[in-house]
Amino acid sequence: MKTKNTAFLLLIFLTAMLSCREQEQDEPTDGPRFDKTAYRPIYATLNNIETLPPQPLRKPGKIYIRGNILLVNDIGKGIHIIDNKDPKNPQKLSFLKIIGNSDMAVKGNFLYADNASDLVVFDISNASAPKLLKQVFDVIPVKNYPDLVQIYFDCPDATKGKIVGWEKYDTEIRPRCYR
Amino acid sequence: MKIKHTFVYVIAVAALLFLEQCSSESTTISPNGGAQIGTGGSLARFAISGNSLYIATNQSLDVYDITDPVAPARTKKNMLGFGIETIFPYQQNLFIGANDGMYIFDNTKPDAPVLLTKYTHVMSCDPVVVQGKYAYVTLRGGSGCRLGGGRSFLDVVDLSDLRNPKLVNSQILLAPFGIGVDGNKLFVCEGSGGLKLFDISDPQKPMLKKTMADIPAYDVIPNQKTLIVTGEKGIFQYRYDTAETFDLLSKIAVE
Repeated sequence: MKTKNTAFLLLIFLTAMLSCREQEQDEPTDGPRFDKTAYRPIYATLNNIETLPPQPLRKPGKIYIRGNILLVNDIGKGIHIIDNKDPKNPQKLSFLKIIGNSDMAVKGNFLYADNASDLVVFDISNASAPKLLKQVFDVIPVKNYPDLVQIYFDCPDATKGKIVGWEKYDTEIRPRCYR
Repeated sequence: MKIKHTFVYVIAVAALLFLEQCSSESTTISPNGGAQIGTGGSLARFAISGNSLYIATNQSLDVYDITDPVAPARTKKNMLGFGIETIFPYQQNLFIGANDGMYIFDNTKPDAPVLLTKYTHVMSCDPVVVQGKYAYVTLRGGSGCRLGGGRSFLDVVDLSDLRNPKLVNSQILLAPFGIGVDGNKLFVCEGSGGLKLFDISDPQKPMLKKTMADIPAYDVIPNQKTLIVTGEKGIFQYRYDTAETFDLLSKIAVE
């Protein structure tokens, strides 16, 4: 187990090395042109999962259907649970606040979803009030760099917590990490 | 003594009959979980088959045993290299979309998928859907998918021999994301470029029928003649039952 952990850490370290080349001053010769924009990590400070009443749709991501239920991921924020018995008149029932969420799957009344690097299970037999049943911690590898190339980004700081997403921002200072 | 033996025998036969009934019953109800299991879009990284939950992580296909639904336990991790993006279960197979190709697994035993082959293509972002003998793959060449960007494609891959998939058609797209297939219709999401409808009456040659440029589309699920579209403006649902009609049923707008 210990060797496994060490190997895992080593892998993370190597990935970080590969994905995040650092350079001090001048624009790196093999780096992209700096256009005064960069990406910075969004850290999960409070990773509390909540069942909320219906919420406005902000950034719809992936979708999933099971029977009359339509699930819509709000990128990085959670899952809208919608009654879609009548596709002419879909009704939002509830919202699951799940930081870092992008994916989901359902079998029976059980909903499986990603919560950044954690796998979470809900009972959705009452779709208006789903219940969190289980969290399996740190099983889904989370990338420590944005999903884009030819960009600069703030180097991740592991002490600040888990990365749940990336946001673009304007900056005069070119970050040291790029890909 | 004799009575005792007969008694034991009767109990044993009864037990066997009971067991027999149990197993045949469980197979007839839902061999594969049936309607119990939902359906995702082509960009999904999660999928369920039988008592197995699959998670396509950045570099592996992970298998979780969900026989006890509230205690998912990872039983297998198939390392696949980098850039793994999507999973599409179809009949006895799993199709995994990766930056540099498509992995095909035999999924006859859901708890132990076996890699059959890897079909390699140009570096891109590439969900895949399958119908009959054909896989439809979109290859996006934009930023984040391929260094230097480049063209995007819709590829048709012949799967008659799963161990030896063959490219049979390729056409240029704008910047595709998700894809969906149902009968003679193929739906392609072009991101902010809208939604495209192809006729695949000839499954090898998708024919562009319609472009709905005003519907930004990220992913789709075709479900019993209702198409669910997700995109930056919201969730749109359409009826597509006859050959040409395509009627808006509802939308949930982004606020």
